[in-house]
Amino acid sequence: MRMAAWLYLFVAFGFIYLPVVTLVLFSFQDGTIPVPPFNGPSLGWYADVLADDDVTDALLHSLLVAIGSSATAVLFGFLAAYGLARHVLPGSALMRVLLIAPLTVSYLIVGLGLLIVLNRTGVGLSLITAGIGHVVINLPLAFAIIYASMGAQHENAERAARDLGASEAKVVLLVTAPMLAPALAAAFFLSVTLSWDEFIIAFLLTRFDITLPVEIWSMLRSGLSPRLNAIGSVVFLISVTAVLLLEFTVLRRRRS
Amino acid sequence: MTASVRLEALNHWFGTFHALQDISLEINAGEYVTLLGPSGCGKTTLLSVLGGFIDPSQGTVFIGDADMTRVPPAKRPTTTMFQDYALFPHMNLRDNVAFGLRMAGVAKVERYRKADEKLDLVGLKADGAKRPHELSGGQRQRVALARALAVEPEVLLLDEPLGALDLKLRRAMQDELKDIQRQVGTTFVHVTHDQEEAMAISDRIVVMNAGRIEDEGPPSRIYREPASLFAADFMGEMNHIPAKVEASVAHTSLASVPVANLPQGAATVCIRPEAIRQDGEGLALGQATVKEATFFGTYTRAHVTPVTAPEIVLVAHLVPTDLPKPGAVLHLSVLPEDIRVFMKEIA
Repeated sequence: MRMAAWLYLFVAFGFIYLPVVTLVLFSFQDGTIPVPPFNGPSLGWYADVLADDDVTDALLHSLLVAIGSSATAVLFGFLAAYGLARHVLPGSALMRVLLIAPLTVSYLIVGLGLLIVLNRTGVGLSLITAGIGHVVINLPLAFAIIYASMGAQHENAERAARDLGASEAKVVLLVTAPMLAPALAAAFFLSVTLSWDEFIIAFLLTRFDITLPVEIWSMLRSGLSPRLNAIGSVVFLISVTAVLLLEFTVLRRRRS
Repeated sequence: MTASVRLEALNHWFGTFHALQDISLEINAGEYVTLLGPSGCGKTTLLSVLGGFIDPSQGTVFIGDADMTRVPPAKRPTTTMFQDYALFPHMNLRDNVAFGLRMAGVAKVERYRKADEKLDLVGLKADGAKRPHELSGGQRQRVALARALAVEPEVLLLDEPLGALDLKLRRAMQDELKDIQRQVGTTFVHVTHDQEEAMAISDRIVVMNAGRIEDEGPPSRIYREPASLFAADFMGEMNHIPAKVEASVAHTSLASVPVANLPQGAATVCIRPEAIRQDGEGLALGQATVKEATFFGTYTRAHVTPVTAPEIVLVAHLVPTDLPKPGAVLHLSVLPEDIRVFMKEIA
């Protein structure tokens, strides 16, 4: 029975991680085709990728879009959560639903909708339009995470701050936001990881400057190559870094 | 800094619930006043009206001579010490205490100096760099007090400040609170449901029930000569003996008590357990049989049944040197000044 449990564990983790392990392994392939047999380790493809301006540009663009759109989504999500958690507003239940609802809309539809609107209004496609698309998909998540962590104990501290002479702006800046720092960071890092490897919206809403997933897709059209494995490994490394940052800064502090 | 408080004809409704009913109250500058009552009596609502967190439906709040009824909390010369302390978890103690001064635009050096002064006042001088989560409940309570006092309010409002502490610590903090109040001279308005706390700490107690003030006065007066049956019961254990008033005499099955200024009708004669005596002085209550007696250290607590009224059980606090056996017969009496008589309220 115990053996079966271990076996199940190995199979489950194998199922989840085998593709990633294969990807990373063959990024070190000494040769031109990323399929077995493995010919021995080489860093040649990494050198090749990092020397390619298209790839490094796309990587920078992706980081820019991820950080910019996440910061915007967290700011809007925080303001919405603060308004709905702290004030009695008409139709607040409906507003909450409307804020969360975009989670149920597929990225393809969000991207198409924005593309049609942008074409109609004559706004050119750029990294900014892709960023707007990412704010649309990340705002509901950011709102949900921040709203859920606004508890009554925070409200009392805000009341105390007001009692001690703080203006509304000072209450939000000096008391509410710092107390919610773990939730704000969690929302930010989650948004970053989602924006970082989002493809379809970025594909539809960018033109000349493109993000890394779009770059990878265009490279895929010329066939498999260990170059792609190397890029994929770098993408994976950056995502893992964001998750680890989240773990060490936010989740650890909450435990103590 | 200190100021008087005057409340005039306050009324407040939560929906259809009449939470404050015709409250008028004067508090002198530098006085320590306790609002005492069971939960739901309106004492916390009244404190919130004083602090500016609730706009009363009717009536006026004067602090000093200024009408503060519609002034927001930030602009009032009051600060509140909240029940759960409401410290800022992301700031160290010095920053917590200095927060109000920071809002008032006091420069950093000066506000830290004052914050340290207030931390010293509550005995936490060495802990300015600690965070609230590193402190015990009693210490957090002191920080909350220091923070509320740092802005030198004219009136300090305390919302059940000792409610979360264990009994021993609560008794110790009572003495400390009173001592600090004497030092700073600020008017303190303290809300509690613990009558011992109220008696230990206050210059004056305001007993509240169902949104009204039942009685107000110095602790000893309220305890000995309560103005209403509710105040009598709330201030401590009380024996109730049904009575009927006729021609200025309250007749009970134990004794007849002369009463002046009471109308005819059903009444209740009230005697505190410790007022029941065995030395025969005062008004005789006749013989009573001991049901049980327990030694309590400073007194012996006995449940006794009067021979003439077996349906009544009286609680008496007797001298601790004597532990009567069940069935023993005692001769009880009470001094006339220890008796209170209240008319039955017509429901």
